[in-house]
This record gives sequence, structure tokens and C-alpha cells, in this order.
Amino acid sequence: MLCLADVSLRIDGRDILDGISFQTSARRVGVVGRNGSGKTTLARIIAGLVVPTKGTVRLSGIDVAKDRRAALREVGILFQNPDHQIIFPTVIEEVSFGLSQLGCSKAETQMRAEEILARFGRSPWRDAAIHVLSQGQRQLVCLMSVLAMKPRLIILDEPFAGLDIPTAMHLSRVLDGIEAQLLHITHDPEVLRDYDHVIWIDAGRVAQDGPATTLLPAYQTHMAQIGDADDLAQLTG
Amino acid sequence: MISLSSPVKTRAHSWPAGAKLMALCVATVALFGLQHIVPLGLCFVAVLALYAAPGPVFLRAGLARLWGLWPFVAVLILWHWATGDLAQGVALGFRMATAVGLANLVTMTTRLSDMMAVVMWLCTPLGRHRRAIGLAMALVIRFTPIFVLKGQGLALAWRARSARRPGWRVIVPFMALALDDADHVAEALRARGGLGNL
Amino acid sequence: MERNVTQIALFAALIAALGLVPQLTLAFGVPITAQSLGVMLCGTVLGAWRGGLAALLFVGLVALGLPLLAGGRGGLGVFAGPTMGFVIGFPIAAFATGLITQRLRALPVGWAAGLGAILGGIVVLYAFGVVGMSIVLNKTLGEAFLLVAAFLPGDAIKAVLAGLITAALARARPGSVLSRA
Repeated sequence: MLCLADVSLRIDGRDILDGISFQTSARRVGVVGRNGSGKTTLARIIAGLVVPTKGTVRLSGIDVAKDRRAALREVGILFQNPDHQIIFPTVIEEVSFGLSQLGCSKAETQMRAEEILARFGRSPWRDAAIHVLSQGQRQLVCLMSVLAMKPRLIILDEPFAGLDIPTAMHLSRVLDGIEAQLLHITHDPEVLRDYDHVIWIDAGRVAQDGPATTLLPAYQTHMAQIGDADDLAQLTG
Repeated sequence: MISLSSPVKTRAHSWPAGAKLMALCVATVALFGLQHIVPLGLCFVAVLALYAAPGPVFLRAGLARLWGLWPFVAVLILWHWATGDLAQGVALGFRMATAVGLANLVTMTTRLSDMMAVVMWLCTPLGRHRRAIGLAMALVIRFTPIFVLKGQGLALAWRARSARRPGWRVIVPFMALALDDADHVAEALRARGGLGNL
Repeated sequence: MERNVTQIALFAALIAALGLVPQLTLAFGVPITAQSLGVMLCGTVLGAWRGGLAALLFVGLVALGLPLLAGGRGGLGVFAGPTMGFVIGFPIAAFATGLITQRLRALPVGWAAGLGAILGGIVVLYAFGVVGMSIVLNKTLGEAFLLVAAFLPGDAIKAVLAGLITAALARARPGSVLSRA
């Protein structure tokens, strides 16, 4: 169960997020909103990487910002750009990193890393250098690195950004098969079509909160209205 | 990126940068010719007066920049007190603070663009390399904030999988990103005509 | 060639960024700023000339009044203060680091870089730093050295890290370590 209670973030006098509250134990959760609405910041707060100025985020009862060690076992996050999150030069080192940081022994780390590679049929990638992999392949390495840690919740921050259609389809199929709870942050309602629970963030606040079937059409209509108004003066930043 | 010149406008802001820099050199050389506590103390007071003239905001900013010297002042005072020569220690403290204060005064009253113009003028003998130097300066200013964000992003990616603070390993992808960006910018430059022979 | 200019400029930006990202502590929980490590890396990765120019560009912009030194410091005051020798020494230290890394081709890149960082990033840099400090504080060279000796262990760690980082970069991006190209 993911619980957000009155989460607010204020930086330099600006309210990036204001009073975000919702709770969910749905298997597939989506967060939609325009660019600049605060959804990426929200993703980081739910992952426990940014401490909110007010409010708490609890996952299975754990305060993710305060109890980092426990949080790392519960929640993982996939960032938008794999080049900004891959730290190691080879696939096996990158996948093993989180495991060793969780305190696994060398033997267990190696076993679990190879296990996740095998699960995706990517055992040959073991010693491959990251820089020879394509964008989509790197994104998969990032996903495997997160999955190896077996978190209960995985946050996806615009994971399809910049991927071509076939790669996006592949990644989408992979994500469908994951047992963990997924929290998918996106500006594109299409990718959330089969999701259960969706939260719509607008200008740092919860605009709507409900089942995908009712919320997404409302969101799409609203976005189209803004698009028709043809007002580039409305900077979202 | 914001430079360290002060937003408080003073008369000195309109004086030519080259003249201010020359005056600074002369003043600093003269300053290092003084030995005793009284003339050096007077110089320090004079510098403080210069800082106070444009108002309290300017003064506070100037004093904040001098604050970083306190460990060295402490070392001087303690050292010379231990060797029985406290007056000399205080005199040296005055000299150091005055020199730094004068130098910072020039920085605070000179716009970045004016300083860059001086540099470009000094580089005239370098001929065609001048364009590259001007471009290089602009690139550093443009990319430093971008790299700070990328560095923070990598630190965040580390903390997403580890409860420990980011280690040295994070610097490797950081440098790889910088090298990649250098390739992309070079490509963009070539697409716009390049820099000619360098 | 455009790539020379962009590599020099972007590495100068990297040195600045390494001093401005607060989360980069380096070793064993001791918060050491990564900036002087950045100067060493200019030399070990870009080689003597480009590395030296990158550090020179960095120091030049600090002089022009940009807050690029660790913690957002900068301006001409830095060059009048006790650490001026270190700042002035950055470009020469980067050059020396690069030169030694390049000359030690026979050694594995990590070792060459580490030795380059020690000789260039410490010996050469401290030579300038100690002279500068002795002038500003009016002390003998020996006395000035005593004052900075406390920083040697931290910088020795940085030199070792420079070697490790350069070696890791050579593995992550073969051909990118230009000091060995």
C-alpha cells in the first residue's frame, strides 16, 4: 500500500508540489500531467530520493525518505534517460551494483545478477560494454538492475521517451509481465490505457484521482482543449 | 550562471575595466611595500570605507567574501603570538585582508562582459585563435550549470540503489557524458561553418 | 579542430561542476571536494596540452569573476589570498599530470595516471601552492609547507582515485582517454 499524506515541496519560495494526498494498492498505477506539472519531482519523492518540505510518503508502512535502507528493498525507480543513470562500464557490474549495496554476499550478488539476465534471455550480455548497446537495450539494463533488487514498487519516469515504436512495444511487453506494483509517470495517456488507478497532477496539485477508464478520457479532452486554445504564452515552467 | 559582480550599482561600475585592473596591480604592489601595523591598519580601514560607500548591501556582500580568510588570520595571530611578535601577525592579517578586499572590489564593480572584453583585447596578438577563446569561454558558462544538473542526476541514480553517499565511481559516467557532449557540440560547430584552421 | 576546443571547454566546465555538486564526497565518508581531482583528470584524460588549457580556461574564468571554485568562490580576491599559488598552479599541474601520463605508456593506464596525478597534481601543484602561501603569509617555504601538509593525505587519496577513474573510463569508453590515444 502506497500512502501519500499532504506531500508538499517548496523550493526558493516556489510550490513545486502542494498537498498531494492519495493512496493505492492497485497493481498498475499511472500519474499523468503536463510537462512541468511536478510529476517527475513526485516520482523522486515517492522513491525517497527527495525529502518533501511537508507530508510523508509511506510504502508498506515505511517512510521512504527517512528509512533509506528499508526503502531500497521496497521501491526502485527507472529514470527517463539510461545514460544519466548507468554508472558502470559493463552490464554485469551495473546489474550487480544494487545487490551489493543491499548487503548481498559476493556469491549471492553474482547469482542473482546472472539470474535476472537469464530471466530476460540476456545471459550473453553479461560482459558486454554498455556503450555498444542501443538506447532501448540500455533502458533494459537499467530495468534489470532495478528488478534484481526485487522491490515491491517500481516507479517508471517516462520510460518510453525517445524510444522508437518497436522498442517501445518490446519494453511495454516486458513491463506488462512484471509482478511488482508499477507506478508509471507519463504525459501520454495512451500508455496507461490498461492501467487500474490513475492520478492526474496539474500545477503541483492533484486535479483528479480515479480509475483509468473515467479519468483518461477526461484528461485527453482537457489537453485537447488547451491545445486548441493555441496559446504558447502559457509556459508550464 | 551569475557572475560575482554586484547588482548594486556604484560609480566604479562605469569605470573602464582595464584601468581598474591596472590600479589594482599598482595598489597591491604598493601594499606589499608596507611593513608596519599602523599604515597597514589604515589601508584596511580605507578599503572598508570603500565597501561602505555604496551602501549596506554592498558592504555585507564584501564582508562575506572576506570571511573565508578567517582561518588564515587565526593562524597568523596564533603563530606570531607564540613567537612573541603579535603586532607583526596583525599587520600581516591587515595586509592580506586589504589585498583580497581590493581585488574583490574590482570583481564586484566590473561586469563579466567588460572583463571578457579585456581578455579578448589581451589576446589580440593571438590572431585567429581569438574566436576559439571567446567560444570556449561561452561554452564553459553554458555547460557548467548543465553539468551540475547531470552530476546531481547521477548522484540521484546512485542513491536510488544505495543508502551510502555516492562514491568516486560516479565520476566515470560524468566524464563520459562530458566527452559525448564535446563531440556533439563539435558536430554542431562544424555544421555552422566550423572554426577554420586551429 | 573543433573537437579540441569543445573538449577543453567542457572539461573546464566539468572541473567547475565537480566543485559545485555537493553530493560528491569521495572516500570513506570523509567529505573531500572533487574539484582538484578534476584538475588531475584533465591531465590524465585529455593529455598535457588540452588538459593544461582546460585548467587554464577554468582559472581564467575564475579570475573574470565566475563562482567556479568549490563552494561557489571566485573573483580576483582568490588571486590575492593565501591559496593563490594553488589556483595559479592548476594549469601547470594539469599539464605536468598529462605529460607524465603520456610518457608512461609502458604502464597500464591506471598506474600511469596515478603516478601522473601524484607528480603533477601533488608535487608540482604544492610547489606553486607553498610559494604562494609563503609570500602572502610572509613565512619561509618550510613554514608554509607545514601549514599545507595536513591536506596531503586527502590529495594523495585523490591521486589514487584519479588513476582508478582514468582506468575505469578507459574500460567504459575505449579510445576516449586521449592521453593514451
